[in-house]
Amino acid sequence: MLQSAFAGFLGGVTAEMDITQKSISAAKVILTGFVVVFSMLLLLILIIKLYSKIISTAQKSGKKKLEKIDEPVKISDGSKSAVFAPSADDDDDEIPEEVVAVIAAAVASLYGTGAKPKIRSIKKSGGGRSAWANAGVLNNTRPF
Amino acid sequence: MEIINGFLDAVYGIFQGSGLMTLNYQNYIMIAVSVFLLYLAIKKQYEPLLLLPIAFGMMLVNLYPAIMEPPSVQLLTAEQCQAMSIDTAGHAQRIMSDGTVLYENPVYGGLLYYLYQGVKLGIYPPLIFLGIGCMTDFGPLISNPKSLILGAAAQIGIFVTFTGAIFLGFSESQSGAIAIIGGADGPTAIFVTTKLAPELLGSIAIAAYSYMALVPIIQPPIMKLLTTKKERAVVMEQLRPVSKLEKIMFPVIVVILISIFLPDAAPLVGMLMLGNLFKESGVVDRIAKAAQNELMNIITIFLGVTVGATAKGSTFLTFDTIKIIVLGLIAFSMGTAFGVLFGKIMYKLTGGNVNPLIGSAGVSAVPMAARVSQRVGQQENPGNFLLMHAMGPNVAGVIGSAVAAGVLLNVIPH
Repeated sequence: MLQSAFAGFLGGVTAEMDITQKSISAAKVILTGFVVVFSMLLLLILIIKLYSKIISTAQKSGKKKLEKIDEPVKISDGSKSAVFAPSADDDDDEIPEEVVAVIAAAVASLYGTGAKPKIRSIKKSGGGRSAWANAGVLNNTRPF
Repeated sequence: MEIINGFLDAVYGIFQGSGLMTLNYQNYIMIAVSVFLLYLAIKKQYEPLLLLPIAFGMMLVNLYPAIMEPPSVQLLTAEQCQAMSIDTAGHAQRIMSDGTVLYENPVYGGLLYYLYQGVKLGIYPPLIFLGIGCMTDFGPLISNPKSLILGAAAQIGIFVTFTGAIFLGFSESQSGAIAIIGGADGPTAIFVTTKLAPELLGSIAIAAYSYMALVPIIQPPIMKLLTTKKERAVVMEQLRPVSKLEKIMFPVIVVILISIFLPDAAPLVGMLMLGNLFKESGVVDRIAKAAQNELMNIITIFLGVTVGATAKGSTFLTFDTIKIIVLGLIAFSMGTAFGVLFGKIMYKLTGGNVNPLIGSAGVSAVPMAARVSQRVGQQENPGNFLLMHAMGPNVAGVIGSAVAAGVLLNVIPH
């Protein structure tokens, strides 16, 4: 009696559903919602972590490849070639590949196509010329 | 004399057709409510982009209900047609049992009825999601994927509120539509309601948008109640930078995963991720700009005005609306509470590295909920910047509420 009165109060719109049916429906929605939402988002977490790892590993190995200039770099255009092997002390302060290419090209153009110059090492000059030396170079090289 | 009679007849006719004779007291109450909402939108600036068109639509439909009327057919006698200067030539006829011939005269629907079809057919909410996708940066979520847990936790409020609604006498489908208010996501709430309980659209949309506007008022007390001073003061370490490739892959992976497992969520998640791919790919700048500016603004106008226009006095001013508003508040508060509680669990599990305040941002309401986390965090520690950390759960909440919507549409018969 009491239960039916209670059900009547609660079931204003849906008279066809009794308390048991409502409880079953609510439990079904809560359980499904909880499990599906969490499992979908947990799956997403796993996938994001996985692909982030793959991408960062791939990018790291790509970087390493760029850094790998311990091996001699051979620049060849068929007639002339230049081999560049950086010395061990260059590791700390690397010379960019583009600069090496420019130096190699300058060397090749200076010695002509007949000679086969080899660049054994490229080193940055210490602190550069002193102000007096610079003045001397400028004096000797300035076009007149 | 004839002129004066004609004049009086005309004035009487205008008076008979005026709102003074056709509107009832419910319409006038709703007009007052809409004026109050306009005040909140303009003076208090509570979500004005949405509240203003909603309030105006509400006002229009209560001033002139025919603006939302569907097209219909009027049956007229030959004399009536003549009186109304209607040519009966092309009109279909109906012969009644007493031999009277009636002519079918089509009556076109109201302006807002036609614009409302975009809501009714579930077109506008996914298009709004397209624009949101263009404006969303999933970077914080990708760099800290664990925040997806907080985005999921904040959806628990939806399912718990479903129980409350069903025991308060709503049907299963109505309960599902009411519960989605807890997702704190307007387009999702409208999308689900049009499918599950279109008759409640006005009340649910207005409740959902009102609570989203009230995020800065509703959330802080719950956040403070559930956390200690020490927890609120936690400074989180900086997020790692996310590469462009990761950001491009994210929408593609999410849409494949969610659409395969939960096809009902595909329209919302699909459009969200399409918009995000527009943004992250960097190759369709023009489309991305159109989606997040022109398209989004146009749809916002249509959506706001027509949703407001569903709030006719006779359907809105019922006891059910009060129940929906109370249940919506419960859903919203529970979402916030569960987000913070899961934030506390993460705080414990990570040895105090996660600030539980970011959990409350798991309810969607982007970016307001994240701003609230930031503000409450700064009250404890002015040098603490939680915004980017809170954006992770915040955007996770958008995905989470779309998934929850998919679950409701799947589980509840409609």
